[in-house]
Amino acid sequence: MNTIIRFFKTIFLVDLLKGLWVTLKYTPQPAFTFQYPAERRATAPRFRGVLRLQTEPGTGAQTCIVCDQCAKACPDDLIALGGHREPGQKIKVLDYFDFNLSRCSFCGLCSEVCPTKPIKALIMSEDYELGTYGRDAQILRVDQMYDGVPIEQYTH
Amino acid sequence: MGLIDHRFEDNFITTSIDRVLNWARESSIWPMGFGLACCAIEMMAASASRYDIARFGAEVFRASPRQSDLMIVAGTVTKKMAPVLRRLYDQMPEPKWVISMGSCSNAGGPFPTYSVLQGVDKVVPVDVYVSGCPPRPEALLYGLMRLQDKIRKEGTVLRKERVIMSGHSEPTVIGDRA
Repeated sequence: MNTIIRFFKTIFLVDLLKGLWVTLKYTPQPAFTFQYPAERRATAPRFRGVLRLQTEPGTGAQTCIVCDQCAKACPDDLIALGGHREPGQKIKVLDYFDFNLSRCSFCGLCSEVCPTKPIKALIMSEDYELGTYGRDAQILRVDQMYDGVPIEQYTH
Repeated sequence: MGLIDHRFEDNFITTSIDRVLNWARESSIWPMGFGLACCAIEMMAASASRYDIARFGAEVFRASPRQSDLMIVAGTVTKKMAPVLRRLYDQMPEPKWVISMGSCSNAGGPFPTYSVLQGVDKVVPVDVYVSGCPPRPEALLYGLMRLQDKIRKEGTVLRKERVIMSGHSEPTVIGDRA
């Protein structure tokens, strides 16, 4: 009996038609693909992108107080920053902020220890499009830390 | 291809040939999946249906270096793996490109140790460095598009040295390789 059933299943291609039916069921559904350069997926709220320095929103003044805590917190010693104090001023002026992106593992310890309030000076931004043609372009200087890494736009 | 590479002066026939060749090269980059660590998971995600690297003509991940144009080095390159990587790179036919994906293959990442190669550019010439730990699939696609930019502006049959602007951020010198 079993042999006969199997014979007819083989003759009428039952298994093949079952498989094709699954394929057919999925065919009219809309495509699952993200058209990446044209549409961008929103990042998760806890997403950690490339490091970014923030200015005060209204005035554009520097929020970093050059406390060097991020440089100390970094497990790979990727941050080097320095500043000087103007005579008569209490706050230090940020002179340089060099961040070696090439080794960064995006752990977020540097922005976690950043003590400035209410605006955090050092944040993990939402930028993730980081493609460079050389290693030397991966060392971000202070202006790139403020403005972010230049991103080529590929949308037409 | 070796007969016409970098052998011609700048005129309208050769520049047209150049454009066609570059179009062919940039729109069918077959990568060799060199997945070494967790970045390989993101590389697989980029080739799966959600991000679909096939939209850039790069869907055919070849297991053989003889059939591939692009090596995506995804993950930590240990010193034990480095000679293997170099050999596979040598076995790839010209023209060939390398994308270094992730912090580990860019510069060693968080492993400044005796056993890890401090950047894959110590053994193979890298065209595009994609940062991230690991990079999102979008970031890999972005790196691929930057590579396509680079290929589009390369001189294939022209002899002249050209300084090209690949995007507005960094100029690249294409040397005379003949």
